[in-house]
Amino acid sequence: MAVDEIVFWVFAPISIGSAIAMLLQRNAVHAALFLVVNFFTIAVFYLVLGASFLFAVQIIVYAGAIMVLFLFVIMLLGVDREETLVERLRGQRVMAVVLGAGIAIELIVAIRAGIGFATKAPANFDETVNRGGNAQALARVLFRQYFFPFEVTSVLLIVAAIAVVVLASRQRRAVTRAEAVSAGHREAA
Amino acid sequence: MLDLVWLIPLLPLAGAALNLFLPGPARPGRRLGKAAGWLATALVGLGFVLAVATLVDLLGLPADQRAHVTDLFDWISVGTFNVDVALRVDPLSITMTLVVTGVGALIHLYAIGYMDHDPRFGTFFAYLNLFVFFMLMLVLADNYLLLYLGWEGVGLCSYLLIGFWFERPSASSAAKKAFVTTRIGDAAMLLGIVLIWLHIGSLDFGVVFGRGASELTKGAATAIALLLLAGAIGKSAQLPLHVWLPDAMEGPTPVSALIHAATMVTAGVYLVVRSHVLFELSGTALTVVLVVGLVSALYAALASIGQFDLKRALAYSTMSQIGFMFFAAGMRFYTGAMLLLVCHAFYKALLFLTAGNVLHTLDDETDMRRMGGLRADMPLSAAWFAIGALSLAGIPPLAGFFAKDQIVGFAATSDRELAWVLASVGAFLSALYIARPLFLTFFGRRRGEEHAHEAPALMQAPLAVLAFLTVVGGLFLGLTAQGGRLARFLEPVVGAVEHGEAVLSDAALISISIVLAVAAVAIAFWVWASGRVDWEAFPERQPELAGWLANAFYLNTLYAWLVQHPGKAFGRALTVVDDRVIDGAVNEVAEDVVDASGVAPRIQRGFVRSYALAFLFGAVALLLFLGLRA
Amino acid sequence: MSTPIAYFVAVSAMLFAIGTVGVLVRKNALVIFMSIELQLNAVNLALVAFSRMHGNLSGQVVAFFSMVVAAAEVVVGLAIIVTVYRRRQSASVDDLTVLRG
Repeated sequence: MAVDEIVFWVFAPISIGSAIAMLLQRNAVHAALFLVVNFFTIAVFYLVLGASFLFAVQIIVYAGAIMVLFLFVIMLLGVDREETLVERLRGQRVMAVVLGAGIAIELIVAIRAGIGFATKAPANFDETVNRGGNAQALARVLFRQYFFPFEVTSVLLIVAAIAVVVLASRQRRAVTRAEAVSAGHREAA
Repeated sequence: MLDLVWLIPLLPLAGAALNLFLPGPARPGRRLGKAAGWLATALVGLGFVLAVATLVDLLGLPADQRAHVTDLFDWISVGTFNVDVALRVDPLSITMTLVVTGVGALIHLYAIGYMDHDPRFGTFFAYLNLFVFFMLMLVLADNYLLLYLGWEGVGLCSYLLIGFWFERPSASSAAKKAFVTTRIGDAAMLLGIVLIWLHIGSLDFGVVFGRGASELTKGAATAIALLLLAGAIGKSAQLPLHVWLPDAMEGPTPVSALIHAATMVTAGVYLVVRSHVLFELSGTALTVVLVVGLVSALYAALASIGQFDLKRALAYSTMSQIGFMFFAAGMRFYTGAMLLLVCHAFYKALLFLTAGNVLHTLDDETDMRRMGGLRADMPLSAAWFAIGALSLAGIPPLAGFFAKDQIVGFAATSDRELAWVLASVGAFLSALYIARPLFLTFFGRRRGEEHAHEAPALMQAPLAVLAFLTVVGGLFLGLTAQGGRLARFLEPVVGAVEHGEAVLSDAALISISIVLAVAAVAIAFWVWASGRVDWEAFPERQPELAGWLANAFYLNTLYAWLVQHPGKAFGRALTVVDDRVIDGAVNEVAEDVVDASGVAPRIQRGFVRSYALAFLFGAVALLLFLGLRA
Repeated sequence: MSTPIAYFVAVSAMLFAIGTVGVLVRKNALVIFMSIELQLNAVNLALVAFSRMHGNLSGQVVAFFSMVVAAAEVVVGLAIIVTVYRRRQSASVDDLTVLRG
């Protein structure tokens, strides 16, 4: 059994398990922490698949920056209390699980029909495509073939930053201290 | 410098963006105030300087290596269809670039004075700059799709600028006419480009004219060349798609000078010269070019003589001159076509801008019957117009003489004597029709009451430069036995000129064309300036002939009968169908929807998660459907 | 590389399905948002796996772009949640029913 197979069979259950655990956690903070675990396992898969640059980006940007942002907002809003278990929508849960399983099965059938469960990737990925290192090879593709889209994403990020400033600024009225405190009381109640 | 050629089109684009979008306190279109015009002029002028620097670099290379392609970035990449944004610098494109930026900068400068009192001064310069950008993309493009982008772009700017004074119904309908008429040619041209792609699998000039040309069959080459020619005919206002050009004179005069005389309308000539490999491969297409050019030249010359509107007379003259360029290209005399293109840009811009001086001082009066004798009040303008007109007439040593004489002389070979005779008639008519506005406007007795005065120095300066170019341009570019400097410079792109077996000696040919030109000018003077001929009574004495000439052989009326009236009748018929059948069905459906919508709110409970569930149900069902079908 | 590519894609499909169920059954807007992130990651994993299979880095580039877009999406999405919370003092999507027909 090759190393990558061992890694896969160790991390795949962790990956699925942490995703299901996230789903079942009633506490938002715990859910976020399980999601971090899941993102780490995906990062490991990236490494196995020869995408070492994305491995680093996944850990730094996703598991790091984005999830910290999530936790920050959870704490900011004070919604780290547990969610009510009452489901107001009749049949929602059952249908959700049935349809979720349905789409998983459909996708796996499609994978089987499309590439089959025996197809193995070519072995010499690191010598050919990743020649000179994955980051360098990726940079060659990114800055030649995808240069224009790359620049456009920078515009997107600026627009997002401006949008957040506009959204988060309190235009209508400043929330007074008293209101904030009473809101906090209502949360606690 | 060769790698920085992208700066040349970028500068006017930046100017257009600044003038259109720069925020400011003043009202839109006048944000930069007077600076808008200076900014636009400076950017195009800077482009000219860069183009000169590029030319110097190009001249530093050996003649057979003077082609440089700058690949900027992938534009479209779908499967095997790859188009780059790539610019080609070679003698042909740099010649066009110099004309566009050089003459363009002078006309921009003139327009600062001419458009001074216009409320949308800044917008005007933004459009003008945008035009220069698209024109430069057109001439610098290294593939047919990028060329087409520029081609449509200049069409758009032409539309915007013809209709710049859209408050006047005549201007807005002229703009629409120009757009729709050239669209006919453009659609054909797009088909031609698609055909090139289908047959060769690439749109890059290097591939199409190199490997591609050797793989094309004669029939495919003919189809492609004729479709491209249709585009060229539309853009260059040749028969039968010429009807928009005289009407386009509704635009401001600097626009007429830049777009409808010096640059855009000559794009068709550029296209033919650039694609000469395909046209030669076909042979038939080349003959079509020759015939279209010659017939257009004669037709427009006759029509010009019938016009009393100064700008329309000049417009028909432009059409006639471009006809000569097509004629030259049809004889495979590409260097002659390009020489006439360059010289024509000089003297026709001069003529139009001088006409602008006249219009400016006479409060937009364009009827030559109410001008006359302006020489006394506007001596400088009269001198400029005389230089331009005599150049077009073919009086040596002005630019037009060298260009036109070469073309007419080239036709004088044993196998096309008829073409030569007709071209000589065309040259004679050219001298006649251009001397006519000169004498009607500046000579004879005053027929109008308005007080005329000379244009300000800001408007005279570009004219002086253009007049200088008209005087020395031909000598510099066209003299010497091998066809002149320009011809030798262009040879690596278009190949050496193959002279046929001449029927007359060079000296005899030159003498004939000089005699014809001088005779025509003399006749024009006798008829329209000496006061001995009552030309104003001519339409009454010969109503038939005058009507045919003034209405350009009634082609507009013919088109109206063939296209417009049946179109309107068809439209009226459709209205009935629309009202009864389509609207009836729509109204019925609308009523049903109103009934049904009473039920819908019960499903919409406002829970996002219910909607998401429905969404997922759709996704699962769709996947199932696709899976079962496969 | 002896693990068949399809295994990775299958994991990706399962994660995607779990994320979908999460969006449907959870009521806390933040957790729903996390589930969407899980779905995005699942798709990224599929992209990288296919990139490995075809020996073409374009898949990784697209995954990279999708991460950039996700980062932009997260900040905007969280800002919206914060704004909604500020007005309604609730992060439960079941309290947002103004779209009711």
